Amino acid sequence: MSTALRDFIKNPTAAELELVARYGMQPEDARRERAFLAFAETGLPHRRMEAWKWTDFKAALKVLETPAAVSAKDPLPHDGALVFRFTPKGFEAPAKLPDGIRMVAQPSVQAFPGAEDVPMGALAAALAGSGKRPATLTFEITSGDAPRLHFVFEGAGEASFARIIFLVRSGASLTLTESYLGGSGLTSAVLEFDMEKDAKLNRTIFQRGASDEALAVTAIAHLGAEAEMTQTTLAFGAKVARMETRVVHQASGSKLNLNAAYLSGMGFHADITTNVRHGAPSCVTRQLTKGAVLDGGTGVFQGKFFVPRKTGQHTDADMQHQALLLEDGAQVFAKPELEIYADDVECAHGNTCGALDDAQMFYLRQRGIPETQARAMLTEAFIAEALGMADEAVRDVLLAEAQTWLSS
Amino acid sequence: MRPMLKITDLSATVGEDSEAKTILNGLSLDVPAGEVHAIMGPNGAGKSTLSYVLTGRSGYEVTGGGATLNGEDILGMDPEDRAAKGMFLSFQYPVEIPGVPVMTFVRTAMNAQRKARGEAEISAPDFIKKSREVAGMLNLDAEMLKRPVNVGFSGGEKKRLEIYQMMMLEPKFLILDETDSGLDIDALKTVADGVNAMRDPSRGMLVITHYQRLLDYIKPDKVHVLAKGRIIKTGEADLALRLEKEGYDGVLGEAA
Repeated sequence: MSTALRDFIKNPTAAELELVARYGMQPEDARRERAFLAFAETGLPHRRMEAWKWTDFKAALKVLETPAAVSAKDPLPHDGALVFRFTPKGFEAPAKLPDGIRMVAQPSVQAFPGAEDVPMGALAAALAGSGKRPATLTFEITSGDAPRLHFVFEGAGEASFARIIFLVRSGASLTLTESYLGGSGLTSAVLEFDMEKDAKLNRTIFQRGASDEALAVTAIAHLGAEAEMTQTTLAFGAKVARMETRVVHQASGSKLNLNAAYLSGMGFHADITTNVRHGAPSCVTRQLTKGAVLDGGTGVFQGKFFVPRKTGQHTDADMQHQALLLEDGAQVFAKPELEIYADDVECAHGNTCGALDDAQMFYLRQRGIPETQARAMLTEAFIAEALGMADEAVRDVLLAEAQTWLSS
Repeated sequence: MRPMLKITDLSATVGEDSEAKTILNGLSLDVPAGEVHAIMGPNGAGKSTLSYVLTGRSGYEVTGGGATLNGEDILGMDPEDRAAKGMFLSFQYPVEIPGVPVMTFVRTAMNAQRKARGEAEISAPDFIKKSREVAGMLNLDAEMLKRPVNVGFSGGEKKRLEIYQMMMLEPKFLILDETDSGLDIDALKTVADGVNAMRDPSRGMLVITHYQRLLDYIKPDKVHVLAKGRIIKTGEADLALRLEKEGYDGVLGEAA
């Protein structure tokens, strides 16, 4: 490896050197270079960076290697959906797409404004084009009743990257589901949503991995006037798993529902990070995140609403995070932030962490429900609220997955 | 005949080690099958503690004595095992369980108990049929049974829901803890009708109450007065009336 490549990242780890080498093998591309430099500025994000203080990729991912575990089975239904499959080396798409959905797979990297805010997203943009995989996969949605698009990320390998851009045209609507099933030592996907006036998006993310894998899913959405976005995440974590969503309300009247549930067991780390900018007046954000963590598991919630003084007037925003520490030794880190400069707004937030209620547990057990089952029942009821707005094709599956985890 | 519930010299504390407070202090009591016994007593006598110790709530420590149900020691069992053996507590303050509909809850409980006893699960049609009958008797709205347990219920609705659960689960031994509190007279009659319908030669009941009023509707075979953690007086149903007239001080003074 040339000294020049080596110098991209200060004191690189073996994993970072491997990433630099992968970059070195890519065809030259000024936009790719810009994206990679945005990543190389920090290298794999680590605890000394404020936004990553609880989710340290550098420490978790010393080397890039294929994990021992194989991908989880995809619980989300493929019937009735157009299925796109990403593996560390490959990409598969349906042979034909219906009217109203156009897909363009490009070998070149598209411009990535804001890359410096999302180092893992920048990495994905720089390295997405390996093997048979496009550097940029762009969808244009013009239909109001297009079938669900389902993306599967699975398969064994050292690393897997993807970059997908969705343009949802005025009045069109997109139902999107994604399954991140592990199998790769590092997976990083970045998805960008450009939602025009009156466009609708219902996005559901299912994540399940192994405790020796690292995963980052970065989404960046811009909402046009009266656009509506609903997002539901169910994350079981990995060695480190970060589900990051950044949304800009950029024209008035847009509406965002941002919900997530994380369930984190021994050796698993699930991070839900969100950043919502109310860059236009009279926009609405409703955010609900629920978590349940066992002994040796970690949950992270970082939520931020930013409401500028002039453009953020008449913002209506609510952020709730509630976590259950199911056992001693469970860890949850939470940082809810409201940064509000506009004076005519309704903004609220709540943040709670606690154990299951003793009185509720006794009530269930007195009726004959064994302790484990009682705990699962109460936790499931607690979590379910955060999954209620998922597309109905997958909602029951998410609940069933949560239930299975809680009962085991 | 051996009593169904036999409590012998039972002592129990509540609270952590150094701050543990003795609430039950050598309490003895026998309730034979087929009988309804009332426990009356002033505030702080240990009435609710007795119900929690018998059903296995955490936070209470048994420091002496014992309790058996049909000859089996129950104090060492988990709460769910006691429930499967037939112990049922109608709570003074029924707990809200958000997100869990009443029907789901009761059916889960019923099948858990059946499983613990090695019995087959109840079928969905059988469960619904039985639920409809019981709800009808208690004037419970079918819609209410689809709502999360006790969430947004009035005090009276919560108590009626306790009786609904009792009639659905058909326990062997019933403990009613202050079931009359918060009830208007019509609701009290409905609840009492439900309890009376459960009277059976094979079933025992302990009715814990502060006031005599409930005992006008649920006639006890025996009345016990609980004070300072033990039974200090036992009598027939008319003892409740005397307590009502003379107050606890009058009766306790006589006993002391």
